[in-house]
Amino acid sequence: MPLFEGLSYTGDKNVVIVDIGAAYTKCGLAGESGPRCIIPSAVKGSVDGKIKKIWEYNTEEELFDNLKDFLFVLYFRHLLVNPKDRRMVVCESLLCPASFRHALAQVLFKHYEVGTVMFSSGHLLSLLTLGSSIGLVMDLGYQEALVVPVYEGIPILKAVQSIPSASKAIHSRIKKMLLETAKVTTETREEKSVSMMPECLTEEILEDIKVRCCFVTKFSRAKLIREITLHGGDSGKLPTPPPGVQYPLDGGKVLHISGEIRERACEVMFEQDNEEVSIVTLILDAILQCPIDMRKELAENIVIIGGTAMLPGMYHRIKEELFDLMKKPKYADNLSLKKFKFHRPPAKENYTSWLGGAMFGALETLPSKSVTRDFYLQTGKLTDWCALDREEVA
Amino acid sequence: MATLLDVNVVKYLCSCGKWEPLCRLYLCRHCQKLRSGDCVLHEVDSPYCPNCLENMPSSEAKLKKNRCTNCFDCPSCGHTLTTRATSQIVSDAEDPNKSAPKKMYYMACGFCRWTTRDVGISDKSVASGAWEDLENPHSRRIHSLLDFYHQVAQREKADKERKKYVRRRSHLIFAASMDKYGLTSVAAKRKSLLSSVSGISIKENEETNICSLEPVEAVDDFEPLPNNIFTDPLQLEKVSTISQRLASPEFQPAMATDLYPNHKHLLIRHSLRCKECEHNLSKPEFNPLSIKFKIQLIALNHVPEIRFMKPKELPFKKEIKVVLTVCNPATYNTKLQLLPLEEESAVNSNTKLELPKKEIVLAPRDDSAIYDDNSHTQHGIKDDSSVVAFRKANKVGIFIKVTPLQQDEDAKVCFWLKHEYRNTTMALPNENQEPQIVWLQHKVVINLGPPHKTK
Repeated sequence: MPLFEGLSYTGDKNVVIVDIGAAYTKCGLAGESGPRCIIPSAVKGSVDGKIKKIWEYNTEEELFDNLKDFLFVLYFRHLLVNPKDRRMVVCESLLCPASFRHALAQVLFKHYEVGTVMFSSGHLLSLLTLGSSIGLVMDLGYQEALVVPVYEGIPILKAVQSIPSASKAIHSRIKKMLLETAKVTTETREEKSVSMMPECLTEEILEDIKVRCCFVTKFSRAKLIREITLHGGDSGKLPTPPPGVQYPLDGGKVLHISGEIRERACEVMFEQDNEEVSIVTLILDAILQCPIDMRKELAENIVIIGGTAMLPGMYHRIKEELFDLMKKPKYADNLSLKKFKFHRPPAKENYTSWLGGAMFGALETLPSKSVTRDFYLQTGKLTDWCALDREEVA
Repeated sequence: MATLLDVNVVKYLCSCGKWEPLCRLYLCRHCQKLRSGDCVLHEVDSPYCPNCLENMPSSEAKLKKNRCTNCFDCPSCGHTLTTRATSQIVSDAEDPNKSAPKKMYYMACGFCRWTTRDVGISDKSVASGAWEDLENPHSRRIHSLLDFYHQVAQREKADKERKKYVRRRSHLIFAASMDKYGLTSVAAKRKSLLSSVSGISIKENEETNICSLEPVEAVDDFEPLPNNIFTDPLQLEKVSTISQRLASPEFQPAMATDLYPNHKHLLIRHSLRCKECEHNLSKPEFNPLSIKFKIQLIALNHVPEIRFMKPKELPFKKEIKVVLTVCNPATYNTKLQLLPLEEESAVNSNTKLELPKKEIVLAPRDDSAIYDDNSHTQHGIKDDSSVVAFRKANKVGIFIKVTPLQQDEDAKVCFWLKHEYRNTTMALPNENQEPQIVWLQHKVVINLGPPHKTK
């Protein structure tokens, strides 16, 4: 490192912001308007060359090694900054397991010797991108949908709602539907059903099908579909599905994706299961759990983050569905909301919480909110967001 | 030689407690310890563009967001774009009837045939530098938010300072309020002095200084899906894939027609530093064209490398001779000894091992010797043929006797490798001092493979 580098740059220039999501990791530098890179949260094994997902670990040692390799790629391939003695902001989910945070802190402090790390909730950070302190933040991620109401900067923990139906559920729905009905034309012009060759449906292909072919259908159509397919009914009344897609697979094979799959795969997030929960009821349930004087403001400040929210038609559908749900006695009797309003943060949904972190990382108050390396090495502790001894950090 | 292709067969113990093949290790000549990639400090040395090989100082690279100004990647497939020239007939400015050919440039991908014309980017009259970048539509809002938060943060910081200050002052006032010794007037004087001089004190009107932020507007109406999505067939090639979108995180174009060339990302040269003594272990030359290093302390250049010949069979519970080949990397005679591990409880060893007890001398490495097949110079070293199997140039074959004790797992041999090392760092070149000779010891484990069943 050149000598002058340390002198000419004050600490805040090189604050690294990282948001390690279940599917994709957003990473960049503080004060910038977008992340430098969004890459899959996975590492290539140094021994066997296999792709290993960061979040799929069996032991903590494995997680430690994977994180170490992954951060190496982030630092030296994408950000090109020295990790030593620099600051770092980690955007994490409220549901992030403690073992993961500890492994990450260990890698950062002990292996990369970073100066300070701030762990912060992605839900709170995404409100920073709006400049307001009140919001009902829904994160539609890969593993789960998580709703956290935030009032005057304080997350209302008793009202937190989540269901494990997000991107991953869509992928498995697409897979299930493809295995049931879809056909593949092979190189030799033979038609085979997909269930004969399930190995061609890799996670990447399923994701690509979701991104390029699927959409969140209109509420009126969805209602008809739901009624007929779930509760039984005249299938002749089903709306005509959108046209199918010829999806090319490896080696000249062609997968026939029907219009039903394109339209209905995303319904997995809206179908209310036996407990009558969908991503939309999460919003209303969260509002119900909140004190009565906050409800109106929360309903008028809904923020949706997470890559799954980028599916076409998502916002419109959620809005329509909210109004429809309000007719249900469960909500109509307890809530008297007339309006639902949504915020559009100045970012794409999949890096909104990263952008909040980038804003926080650029501030002078960052050091006082971070865990320093010395503190960590002395105590071996990380203050949790729910811990009461927060003062100790400062 | 089983170890030429499979480097993981012979491993050395790094000072951090990891077993690594010798080719992945470094030898810090100041600490005289082995270091692996995990226990050294990686540093960003010099960024350069992998396409045009232009290098730039790291501060400049930072300004350019680690991207090359001249080279572009194809947004469709990620291959490097090449600039193409065409001539276009442009009407002359002075005489409208005349037209003159003019060179125009566009960019094309040699791999997937994507061109800048595909997405409606007009041709440029200069070959490089004219490709303007897209601007994030939200950047104004983000910057105003940032300014606002800066001010809030500054106030928070000042508040903290003031709290410290107020507390101290209150003690003074408390003491003064007792007014036993007529201190009130002194305190009052001091107070007025402080408030006028002190830069820490916050003026009350500071609050108005914070420029108000435009409040966000929430929306309650969204565009429904277009109706033609249910009737028009989807053209798959017109929708961009997720990797194409994520290649430009700020824009993430959903349609292939919105793809825009991306500036090529820079690469860096690493330098490595010992975590203990902070000396460089590896430092490349600044010029990206050069493959040389200024400093390169890889262990392969300093520590004798051990390989072994796989025995034809490895019977279970039967003693067998295995030939280890030891290769001297140094240009002087190196004495070497193989020692058993003190603790027999070594986890890595599951064999009974008999090592040669004598010191063995390795001939110096001579780079020219490998071109000379006839040289069998013995360097005047007398060998015990029960220990040394063969000797060629700087290599020597050593017999060890191994008895596998475990049937189900690979037989492993573990021992100390003790060798001479001439430490050149301590000797000052101008004082004609003899380089200091030290003995280094490394733990080595060799995986001999699974033992055969005795017939």
